[in-house]
Amino acid sequence: MSLRQKLLLLFSLTVAAAVAAVASTVLVRIRQVFERHNQDETALFVSQFQREFQHRSASVAAAIDRIASQEHMRSVAFELVQSGDSAPFLNEAQTLAQDARLDFLEVVGPDGNIVSSAQWPARFGYPEPAARDSSSTPFLKSEDLSDGSTALGLFAVRTIRGAEPAVKVIGGVRVDQHFLADLPVAPGMQIGLYSDPVIPGTLDAAFSQSATAAAFDPKRMLGIDGMLPGAANYSHIIEQARKTGRETAGILYLTSGHQDSVAATAIPLKNSAGTVLAVLTVAISRNGLLAEQQQIRQIAYGVAGAGILLAIIFSLWIAARVSRPVEELARAAEEVAGGSWDARVPERGNDEVGVLARSFNHMTEQLENQRERLIQSERVAAWRELARRLAHELKNPLFPLQLTVENLTRARQLPPAEFDEVFNESTQTLSMEIGNLKKIIGRFSDFSKMPKPELERIDAKDALARVRSLYAAESNEGPRIEFKMQLDDRPMPLMADPELLHRALSNLVLNAKDVMPDGGTITISAFNRESNVEIRVSDTGQGLTPEECDRLFTPYYTTKQHGTGLGLAIVQSVIADHAGTIAVESPQGQGATFVITLPRAGA
Amino acid sequence: MRWTVSRRFAISILFVLIEICAWGRTRPHYGGTIHVEIAGDPWERPSGVARRLVYDGLTQFDSFGSLQSSLAVSWEQDNSYHRWQFRLRPGVRFHDGTALTSATVIASLNASCSAHCPWDAVKAVGSLVIFTNDSPMPTLPSLLASDQFLIALTSTAGASSTVGVGTGPFQVNGFTNGVLALIAYENSWSGRPFADAIEVRVHRAVRDQWLDLSLGRADVVEVPAEQLRQAQQQRLSLHTSPPVSLLALLLRDDGALANVKVRAAIAASVDRSSIYNVIFQKQGEATASLLPARMSGYAFLFPTDRDLNKAHELRGGLGTTSLTMSVEGDGAVQLAAQRISLNLREAGFNVQTVPAGTQRADVVLRTLSIAGDDPAAALERLLWDAGVPAPVTEQLPDALYKQEKAILDSRRIIPLLDLPMAYANGARLRDLRLRADATPDLAYASLEDTR
Repeated sequence: MSLRQKLLLLFSLTVAAAVAAVASTVLVRIRQVFERHNQDETALFVSQFQREFQHRSASVAAAIDRIASQEHMRSVAFELVQSGDSAPFLNEAQTLAQDARLDFLEVVGPDGNIVSSAQWPARFGYPEPAARDSSSTPFLKSEDLSDGSTALGLFAVRTIRGAEPAVKVIGGVRVDQHFLADLPVAPGMQIGLYSDPVIPGTLDAAFSQSATAAAFDPKRMLGIDGMLPGAANYSHIIEQARKTGRETAGILYLTSGHQDSVAATAIPLKNSAGTVLAVLTVAISRNGLLAEQQQIRQIAYGVAGAGILLAIIFSLWIAARVSRPVEELARAAEEVAGGSWDARVPERGNDEVGVLARSFNHMTEQLENQRERLIQSERVAAWRELARRLAHELKNPLFPLQLTVENLTRARQLPPAEFDEVFNESTQTLSMEIGNLKKIIGRFSDFSKMPKPELERIDAKDALARVRSLYAAESNEGPRIEFKMQLDDRPMPLMADPELLHRALSNLVLNAKDVMPDGGTITISAFNRESNVEIRVSDTGQGLTPEECDRLFTPYYTTKQHGTGLGLAIVQSVIADHAGTIAVESPQGQGATFVITLPRAGA
Repeated sequence: MRWTVSRRFAISILFVLIEICAWGRTRPHYGGTIHVEIAGDPWERPSGVARRLVYDGLTQFDSFGSLQSSLAVSWEQDNSYHRWQFRLRPGVRFHDGTALTSATVIASLNASCSAHCPWDAVKAVGSLVIFTNDSPMPTLPSLLASDQFLIALTSTAGASSTVGVGTGPFQVNGFTNGVLALIAYENSWSGRPFADAIEVRVHRAVRDQWLDLSLGRADVVEVPAEQLRQAQQQRLSLHTSPPVSLLALLLRDDGALANVKVRAAIAASVDRSSIYNVIFQKQGEATASLLPARMSGYAFLFPTDRDLNKAHELRGGLGTTSLTMSVEGDGAVQLAAQRISLNLREAGFNVQTVPAGTQRADVVLRTLSIAGDDPAAALERLLWDAGVPAPVTEQLPDALYKQEKAILDSRRIIPLLDLPMAYANGARLRDLRLRADATPDLAYASLEDTR
């Protein structure tokens, strides 16, 4: 990743993190405010519901009181007790209920059985457990109806005075959508009433085989206008309220896309025994909260987007000011590392980057100068070395020449026959040394005009086999030299000049033989190495020191007593002309290995 | 002495005058309109008020339950009751002037029973109507006296295209604003009725009927069996029949009730005593037999007690069985249906009430008419009425008992109560009688003050 990209990323992350932190804090705070508001509204509604409930309870109790106090009812009770015949009073409850505007009314005899029922006339003779309730406070009760349904009602029980044993009146009003409609509902609030379909102990429970655990039935959820839409969404909190008997709150999503959500509270309504008969739900729309949150998010996204845009612009500016000079410096450094020491970078400004650029340029300038000086000194050294080598090489044949000429001069004083012998010997010596001089000069001449390689496709195996065949035969004479060949089974094609390559390989083999005067092993190996062919020529001589390894390929450098020092230089030149490299490895005591790496020819 | 003769003469004149006044009060007067109020439909079977005012049958029962001639003057059987021929009364005309012929009689009879007639064939031969059947029909004359076989003028297609055209003492004059207007048929074969007209106000609640009666706006009102006691307490002028109406459950023998044990479980789970004691206020009789005790004498042999344990045993541990019930009737009958539903729920039946006539319910609660004094004929008529036709060939009580027991053991009919029918009349109506089927016979009723 480039510096520019890092800077861009860093600035963007900084902006985004800052915006996210601020936005999340605001969102959390807003949610808390709304939640508190919802709780307050819910609590207010619940208290209003309780007030209305108490008001209704009082109304019901008053109505039942009035009925129980009627003279007519007292005479009914008296007759009932006296005669024990409840048949004549079958329809009493209906009339009374109509007059008192009650939804439910039953007259219960001394035996606890229904004498007359307004809501289910056919239930006469059946027991009414609620009549055993001696409490004077109204209570919630689930009432079975003739159509098989159950209705939730607010009931009160009163004993008809004057009748012993007691005849009671139990009646009440429905707690249904009309009850809900009378409750004060704030805007955005939705209330519902869920009544349990099966209540243990009722006729339905005795009849139903699964009375104890009635599943949630959305049809039993009533709102102000009838069945509450989306009732199934309330199932979870209602089940919780039913199970625990405590208020349960939660967030409900009324649509599949979660756009419409409410903060809902489920309040269980219990009878005197503590059984949950119904659940009142209060749901306050979260649209306001969600809208605010959405707006905040949009603002946050906008700010983050703008921030990131600014970050991009800033990073571009920073790039222009900082990273580009750094990149230029890096590029120039790479060029320098690649050998191009004349790389320069523009010098802008007086800041650290400018100072760095100037320093870099100065450094490369110094490096170049030093290289020039080094080259000069190496040239001088090479010339000195050449001169020394020339002087040394030439001195050898020149001394015998000089001696021979002096002998010849002295021999002029000798008799002709002795002079002829001396003359012949001297001329032989002269010819031999002149030949040596020519050889020496020839080598120098060869090195100075190395021919350009004429490349053709060959196989390294062939070149190595040629070298082996040439020098393996010669190894039969003189010290015992063993040749070993280790070649790759696969082809090793090369684009090479066969003659020059043969010459280079020959030089290496000859050098190896020279360093093993007492015999040894020359190992020639060649293998494919990725896209190259690696050729190794190893000997088991005394090896080379590290200093010798460093200077081995320098022209005119030699470790031999006699030699031009050009052999390896020629080898290096040939290899370089073939776009290859040559190196030497000489672990201590393990001889030396020359490693030639040549590019493998393509298919 | 002269003073004594004058005193005696004056006293005699006084007695003659008193006698003349009394005689004037007891002799029925022609004219006037009788106002009748009912809660139901005047044409409903079997006790629609208007039916026997407008239509006649080939035969009829008198108020004592004896079979009498009506549109047929005589009848005789042949071939061991496999063939009957009825001779029509001559000179009888329908209200629109159409002569009563054997063809019109046959058309009406065929329209009454369509594919399920108690005879295989009926044909007209002059003024004779001849019935034939593969099985003997010993009670055919009694059967023809039932409400189902009243003769009405029908179209040639067999359907009753002219509702209300009969041969009875009254003819239909129209129906407006909930009032069916009948006027006296001057040429009635049974004689012109005393009243000029009858107005039947329908679908009037019983409470309102009684109020109108007390205000003089109604001459004849209904008194449901369960309100008889109340009517007696209010000292209404009542006409009460013996138990002529059998409240019964009719069960299907397919679907959920294909198993006779299931039907038997229903029979065992019904609590007749609560229906009798409370709903019908101890009027009539709780019964488990088809024929009332007064007619058969062996009704007590059929137990009426509820046995819920037996009902569960008979169900054999089955899960909840869902049934549909329809109710023909209102008021106490509807309440009885609710009570029966409760009883059945305790026995493991889930009963859902459906409107009468909309679909074929598993259980139907309705009343069946019991008329006449012939037990076998009454039983056969009752079975026809119940839709479970079966020829009743036995006459002797023990054989009849066995046949009735066999019918009851199939549990297609579950008798519950024998109920009377009753009407109350206002002060100005005289000579109101109830027919054998407990419908008011207004043909012979007259009004004190014609208006």
